[in-house]
Amino acid sequence: MRLGVVRGTIVLNLAVPSLRAKRFAIVEPITAAELAAQPAKGGGKSLIVVDELGAAEKEVVAFTEGREAANPYWPNPVPVDAYCALVVRSIDFRPPLNNCAAQGERQ
Amino acid sequence: MFLARIDGTVVPAKKHPTVEGRRLLVGQRLESNGDVSGDPIVILDLFGARIGSTVIVCTDGDLARAELGNTTPIRMSVVGIVDAVHVPGNPVGRHRL
Repeated sequence: MRLGVVRGTIVLNLAVPSLRAKRFAIVEPITAAELAAQPAKGGGKSLIVVDELGAAEKEVVAFTEGREAANPYWPNPVPVDAYCALVVRSIDFRPPLNNCAAQGERQ
Repeated sequence: MFLARIDGTVVPAKKHPTVEGRRLLVGQRLESNGDVSGDPIVILDLFGARIGSTVIVCTDGDLARAELGNTTPIRMSVVGIVDAVHVPGNPVGRHRL
């Protein structure tokens, strides 16, 4: 899962039947540099996730990408590849001091 | 699968019901020379990895499905905690973990 900031929501007019009445959110993924610089602002390329938790605008969420994103609808086949699994209350992010989010820890 | 360093923890306000009571960590993917790369990721931990641990992360959801049920959206999970990494071609040699 990656972390992201909710930027907005989407309402569909026409949709495949299995996606009807689902809530979609536009999420901007949080990069390492932005996560270190609290409060996180995002910084990644936005994508659409299915949101059944009711995340509000500006809230931080964690979303799954890929086939596993459709697992909550198992065993029904649903065309979903990004699913909001958590709405985040707080993140304790403590990378090593010598790590400016661009360089890892070395001996 | 890839190496990741655990750099934090997540406290959810709302969560998918299958994640209830589970440990979720924030990690950063490691390259072979020890650099971090990519966006931070949230990982399911069944082993007790802590901040600073280097772990192997599997991006297949089968472990999470086995533990949390077929309807879990969780995909990335810790499958092992790393003791040492040795990369012969790397002048840095052994990573400090």
